Order: sequence, then C-alpha cells, then structure tokens
Amino acid sequence: MKIRRVVAETSASIRNWYRSRASVFWTLAFPIMLILIFGAIFSGGGENYEVYVMDHDNSFFSHEFIHYLNSTGVIDVKNIGENESLKNYVKNAVVISIPQGFGDNLSEGKHVEIEVYVDPSNQQTNQVVENILSAVINNINFRIYNITPIITYTEKKIVGEKYTFIDFFVPGIIGMTIMTSSVYASIEMSVKYRKMGLLKKLLTTPMSRGEWLFGRMLYQVVINSISFVAIIITGMAIYSMHANINLLSILALIISTFAFTGTGMFLSRFVKDEETADSAASAIIFPMMFLSGTFFPLQLMPSFLQIIAKFLPLYYVNESFRNAMIYMDYKLALFNMAVVAVYAAVVFILGVMFTKWKEE
Amino acid sequence: MNNVIKVIDLVKKYGDVIAVDGISFSVRKGEIFSLLGPNGAGKTTTIEIIEGIRDATSGEVRIFGMKPGDVKVREKMGVLPQEFSSIERLTVMETICYFASMYDEHKDCDELLKMLGLYEKRNELYKNLSGGMKRRTGIAIAIVNNPEIIFLDEPTTGLDPAARKSLWDIIEYMKEEKKTVILTTHYMEEAEKLADRIAIMNDGKIIAEGTPDELIDKYGGKKKIIIDAKEKIVREISDEKEIVEIINKLKVEGIEYKFIEIKRPSMDDVFINLTGRKINEN
Repeated sequence: MKIRRVVAETSASIRNWYRSRASVFWTLAFPIMLILIFGAIFSGGGENYEVYVMDHDNSFFSHEFIHYLNSTGVIDVKNIGENESLKNYVKNAVVISIPQGFGDNLSEGKHVEIEVYVDPSNQQTNQVVENILSAVINNINFRIYNITPIITYTEKKIVGEKYTFIDFFVPGIIGMTIMTSSVYASIEMSVKYRKMGLLKKLLTTPMSRGEWLFGRMLYQVVINSISFVAIIITGMAIYSMHANINLLSILALIISTFAFTGTGMFLSRFVKDEETADSAASAIIFPMMFLSGTFFPLQLMPSFLQIIAKFLPLYYVNESFRNAMIYMDYKLALFNMAVVAVYAAVVFILGVMFTKWKEE
Repeated sequence: MNNVIKVIDLVKKYGDVIAVDGISFSVRKGEIFSLLGPNGAGKTTTIEIIEGIRDATSGEVRIFGMKPGDVKVREKMGVLPQEFSSIERLTVMETICYFASMYDEHKDCDELLKMLGLYEKRNELYKNLSGGMKRRTGIAIAIVNNPEIIFLDEPTTGLDPAARKSLWDIIEYMKEEKKTVILTTHYMEEAEKLADRIAIMNDGKIIAEGTPDELIDKYGGKKKIIIDAKEKIVREISDEKEIVEIINKLKVEGIEYKFIEIKRPSMDDVFINLTGRKINEN
C-alpha cells in the first residue's frame, strides 16, 4: 500500500466535497437537525407535572400541604376556584380536592381524606403524581406522629452529577450519524464513479482497491469529524449538553467510520444503479438504527431482539461512545471498539475483494 | 518485428451473445494501430480486455509479454476509456496531479498542461469544461505517466470538427514520440489519417487487416473519374490510359465541363465492399 495514493484519493475527495455547497450543507445540516430534534425530545428530563388543587378549607394546614406538594420540584401546583367545574381541569392533569375542615381535623388528630381526580387515559402522569402524593402524605403522617423512618435511601449516580438526560442520547446520535453518512456516501459514490467510467479508469492505473478504499475511509473520517463537532457544538449551545471528548471517543469515531464505509463499499457490489443505491443503504441503516439501542435502552426490547442487537455493529459503536464519553469505563469502551475494529477489518477485506471495478 | 501486444483467438460472450468472436492480431512497438468498425462491432470489448478491465471468455492476450492487469503493465500503459468523466469539482491541474500521484514515475504536470494547450484552463473545474477540453484532459491523464502504450477508445466521438482536428494533432505527436497507440474509432477518415495499420471489425470478427494503402488497394475497388459537366459523370477507371481516353472523348463530343477529379477509393469504399453497407448504417 502506497500512502501517496491513499493521500491523493483522500485529498481529491475532500476538495470535491467542499466545493459542493449542497454536500457541505447536508454534512452539517443532517447532524444538527438530529441533535435539535432529539434534544427537544429528550432534554426535558426534569419536566414538571401540572396538578390543580381546589382548596375548600383554605386554612394554614391546607396551605402547608400545598406548599409541600410544590416543594417536591416535580409537581407544579395551580389553584382553582371553589366554584369552578373539576371536569374542565381533569383532562390531561390531576386534580386534588382538599375538603372543608381539613385543617381542623388534622390539628385534632382526626382522619382526613383528600380526593384525587384523574383522567384514566393519562396513565403515566397519574402514576407519577400519585406516587409523589403518597410520599408527601406519608411524610406529613410521620411528622404528625413524630416518627423517624428506620429505612431510608440515598440516590448515588454512577456518573458525575453534571450529566443530564440528553447527554445519554448523544453517543447514539453520533453513532447513527456516522453510520448513515458513511453507508450512504460510499454506496452512492461507488455507483456514481462506476457510471462515470472512473472505476474503469482507476483499474488501468497502479492504484489498488485497498489503497482506494483506505483513501475513501480517511475522507469519510474527515466528514464524520465535521458532523461530530457540529453535534457537540449545537448540543452544548442549545441544550447545555456535556460531552467528554477524549482520545477514546476520537478513536471510536475513526474505527466506526472505517466499519461503516467498508459496509457501504461491500454493499455497492450488489447495487447496479443510482435508483437502487438509496434503497440498499436504507435497508441496512434503518433496522440497525432501531435495533441497536440508539434511541432507547436495549432492555426495553423483547429478548430475541436484544440477541439480534448483539450481532449488529452499530450496537458496539453506540456502546463504545457511551462508555468512552459518559460512563468513562475505558476498559468496556476498548472492548466494544475491538469488536468494531474486527468488523471493520472484515468488511475492508470483503470490500477490497468484492468492490466491483471490473466490467462483466 | 517487436510485438508489444499479442491477441490470439480472443472470445468474449455475454450469455448467448458473442461480442468478440475468435480474433487474433498483434500490435507492433511504436505504431498506431486502429480497430475500426461500426458501433457494436466488439472494438471496446476487445480493447478493454487488453487493458484488464474485462475478462475474456477464452483466448490469450499478452501485453509486454505479461497478462493484462498486471501492476507492471499498468505502470507502463495509459488509457482513455470510452465515455469517461473525471471527478467533477477538481480543477484540470488537480485532476492531472491526482492521476499523476498514482504512478511511480510521471511527467511534470505543468509541462503536460502546456503541451496539450490546457495551461490556460488549469484552474477551471472539470465539470465546467467543454466536451473538447474534457477529452483533452482525459488524454492528459492517459499520458501523465509517460506510458509506452496508449489506449484511446473512440477519443473524438461527439466532438466538433475543430476539436477533433486538434486531438488528431496530439495523436500524431504521440507517434513522433514513438509511443504505441491503440485507437478504436468508427470514423473512417480518422483511421485512414492516423493509423499505421488498421484492423476492420464487424460483428465481433476482424474482417480485414493491413496498412490503409494495403486495405484500399485490396478492397477499395477501382479509382473513379468524376466530371463536373451539365450532369455529374462518374466512371470507374482501371489505369491512367483511360483518363486520357475519356478527356479526348469529351473534346470530340464537345461536352463542356468545369473540372475533372480523379478519386482514389477510400476506407469508406473498403468497408462498403467488405460488408455491403456503410459503417454508420445499422
């Protein structure tokens, strides 16, 4: 392998890329769009639940109770007038009615009961609000009877406090961007070069398929690095995302680019024209995107799908980035990268063997 | 005679279709050898098998005594494929340097651009070039490694007469440089003007081979005398005496004429006589 030829291929491809406004635009727009969409969906991890309270008692104790609810940080209490119809509020929210005499009964140690109105179609919200409500009521009961709970717990996080919900999705978004960009670009480019007669021409020069493929892989590393930076900058600027960019995450970027560029090259062997190029790329990309734990943890999927995921390279790519950038488990990151590297080596060899330069 | 290419009983089949039907020929060092024939005759298939782009179904091909596609062969040959386009958004200079970097030894890019009249266009993107300039860049790429053998597959197809003429000049320059050129074409006058030897292909077979003069003498038929009188008179003639006889007859009969032209048979006549049709008729 002559580095001179590899560099020539990489630099020609980069020049051809940056002179196309559309190519530059999509290299930046696609990952930015992804991070904006997924950021908007997942960055609201601390979202509050609206709870309407109809306070028929209006006493010191009822005010204290409402204050307790508000101080949980999860429930956003809004007062409604006594004469208003509960039905107007119960849709999509939980309504609590504090009966008259709540304060008096409480101070006398008598049993009091508050009423909770829920919309059964809103199961998830109901469950969260009811759990919090029950915790608040327990807490008040303990205080009244001056009981100190024997069993308590403290939540410890396995990663630093600074990480937010969105940070956990970023590795998946990076993995997905690398896969999509590399697979599409290499299939489309192979088909286009074949149509232009350029592959034929290359076949008559001393450039080997290995040198060419390696040159293309390096070019894709440059493109994916630009997308990577676009994701990180957008995420940081808009969602105050935290990213731990270290040597391992850069290594993961390079290895995964090699893996997916090789995949695209190998697949292009079976694609005859530009029309089928997109379909072939999509057929690989979409199942892998959903089955590899990109958007949600694998544990949420049926067990047979979890087994399938373990055979998909994107799963190991996502795990590499997650362990390198979030969990800081470098051993596990390296293990996952090693799996991706083995896969990359296999597709590189297959790509060299099967990339179709020769005509029938 | 130093043969640099040897083709023996070459056959190429696509399913039931026979594209190349058992052809044999040799190309000598330093000559321009043309494969001449209509579209679909099997010229491109033949040339691409020699270049190593396609595999033969059977037969033997040797180039510098080696198999087609050998890396040593690739260092020493230059190819302009048919309907070739280069990378769209590279300049002419970058395109030539890109291909130059593939070879262990290559010409100076600046000099090559000047030689081919591309220097003024060196910073122009490939996609913005005219058809003629694209083809010229293609030729620059084909000779960037200073090759011993140059394959030009239909290099002037689709070009206007001026662009075609200027490419002919480049091909003639290659001959002066003592390069071996294998040229496929379906233009009779191109083969006749440029080639030292021509192999005429039709339906996958070589139906005649020789220098243009040999082919014309053998298959072109008789010379013609064309008299531009009131009506155009065309007569075939066997020897010089007949010309004198015809002129005398015109005098005797008092037929006035503007001019008399003696026309030697051309490659067109050779092809018509060999196949019974013109080259561009399907």
